[in-house]
Amino acid sequence: MDPALLNQIFYAGMMGLIGAIVFAAIGLVSGTDETTTLAPLTLLVVLLGVPPEGVFTFFLAGAVAKHMTHAVPTALLGIPGDTMATPLLQDCNVLRNLGVPHIALRKMVSGSLIAAFVAVPLAVLFAVMLAPLGPVITKAAPWIFLAAAVLIAYFSAGRWASVGVLVPFVVLIIALQTLTAKYNVKLSISYFLGIAIGPLVADLFSLISPADRQRMRRDKARTFQLAPDVKGWSGYFPNPFKVLDRRQTAWTLATATISSATFVFSPVAMTVVLGELVGSRVKHAYHRLTTVLSARNGVTEATYIAEALIPLIAFGLPLSPVAAGPAAPLFNAPPRFTVDVAAGTSHNLHNLLSHGEFLGYGLLAVVLAALVSYPFAMNYARSAALFVSRKVSHEAIIATFIGLIFVISIWEGQFLGLLVITTMGLIGGLLSRTLGFNSGVQFMGYYTAVLSVPAIIKWLG
Amino acid sequence: MTIDRELPTGRLVEVWGDTADTTHLAWSIVLGVGISVPAFLLANRGLVAWVSSPELAKAYAMLAGLAGCVLAGLICALLFKPKRTVVEGHQADLGWRLEVLTQLAEQHGGLGSVADLPPAVISEMNALEIYDLFNDFETAPLAGRLSNATPGADSPAPDRRAVAASVQGA
Repeated sequence: MDPALLNQIFYAGMMGLIGAIVFAAIGLVSGTDETTTLAPLTLLVVLLGVPPEGVFTFFLAGAVAKHMTHAVPTALLGIPGDTMATPLLQDCNVLRNLGVPHIALRKMVSGSLIAAFVAVPLAVLFAVMLAPLGPVITKAAPWIFLAAAVLIAYFSAGRWASVGVLVPFVVLIIALQTLTAKYNVKLSISYFLGIAIGPLVADLFSLISPADRQRMRRDKARTFQLAPDVKGWSGYFPNPFKVLDRRQTAWTLATATISSATFVFSPVAMTVVLGELVGSRVKHAYHRLTTVLSARNGVTEATYIAEALIPLIAFGLPLSPVAAGPAAPLFNAPPRFTVDVAAGTSHNLHNLLSHGEFLGYGLLAVVLAALVSYPFAMNYARSAALFVSRKVSHEAIIATFIGLIFVISIWEGQFLGLLVITTMGLIGGLLSRTLGFNSGVQFMGYYTAVLSVPAIIKWLG
Repeated sequence: MTIDRELPTGRLVEVWGDTADTTHLAWSIVLGVGISVPAFLLANRGLVAWVSSPELAKAYAMLAGLAGCVLAGLICALLFKPKRTVVEGHQADLGWRLEVLTQLAEQHGGLGSVADLPPAVISEMNALEIYDLFNDFETAPLAGRLSNATPGADSPAPDRRAVAASVQGA
């Protein structure tokens, strides 16, 4: 083999390994949203000048590893590991009350592993099929973003309210951009990090307000019950096809395939809908619970991979909630990666890696994540959950994230960055809490403001 | 910090999905900002002279800032203990399990029959010692089993509703 290529693969492998280890650990800490963790660290990797294949492998290995370990707090403690884990919580609680939470965990992690291996080649395949439409899509991108934003808004908890809120929300973003432009500051990550961290910002403001504080008061600490573990295999690397039965494997493969193809919808919505579909086809309640959990966690993994990969490979435009949020630095990380919809051009991983490279490094990322995260989650879940719940206080997590939003916003736009991230966080968090205008819709709102509004203004003359 | 007159339990709040103590939270925010921002700013100043391009210097400064965030988190984890009660070794008692089964039976799709299960699932359920639980629940009348399982419970029916609601609401 060409030594230059070997060198590239080695470098990508190292970056993937770092991503897998870091995000397998982050996944254990509940409440660590994907956008607040994956986006800044990927941005850092991009800006440090890591070669394209290293950036891609880092991101994907991190995402896949995190979606395996997020099952640990979800199944064992009953706290969702991150946003994607929330649709799994109810079934996990039922199995926890039955006294078999470790089964919930193993089914979820195995489903996720199988789905990840299916999703990468399928996402590349779908992207290759869609790629000829690339020029048309790029030309129509402003309108597609607008349509996608309305569609995703309608499918959020707020329904028509969310569709309506899109208008003032987009106006707010344009207003903030006009303000920062007066000082020659152009911001992007501050907006979506503000959106992602919104619920925390809104909660902290509520806490200062005497009017809202009472609602948040608690008279005692939360109690978590941790069941004893039962190890059902020998060795370090359990066979996922033995953890799942044949029907569960089949459903996981089927739902992973479907969710790989539907890349513009919210991954949480896909997880809920496909889970219901599987649930309606399994007769016995226990078998239904375990089958739905394996399929659902598989879907969280597959949608995530597809939503990041398909727009990246086919168009180079962040045309999905995942691409617009956690995967945003793969598309847009100025000055290194840029997207210019008005001119229909982009300079990012889309231009820097070939289809074959996406497939190869994608599979490498999944293999690395599987080697790090899968056996770890299967063997050490219980001690990890115990360690995190006993040693890592919520205050420590909040301190880290408050520091993160300060550093990133000041890094991007000094004082203006801090103003924007606080405004977006507060408004976005409140809208999400009160109207069900969730962060997925808000990400699309940001891109509507940046990409669709200039086209609408031009069209209106 | 003049909250000392309050009892510590009066300071507990639910923020961002978990419980925290307001005083500890205030200090965490101070430490989070106070460590990470100076780390970033100092690195940003200091690195310009050392690193070839200003962009790269800024990226390294961000790394220093993120390291500051993690350091602040570590310090807060050492200073402030979690406000969670973790109960270990909980073996689900029969009463609790039956509540779950009742709730499953009421859900859309119902409990189903063990006769429909493939052999692999039956052996899995046997290994977990829950096969008989499901099998018995199908055949035996519910009310008698519940009062047997929770002796001393005055009114199992409303109790069951409460558990079902808590599982549903989670």
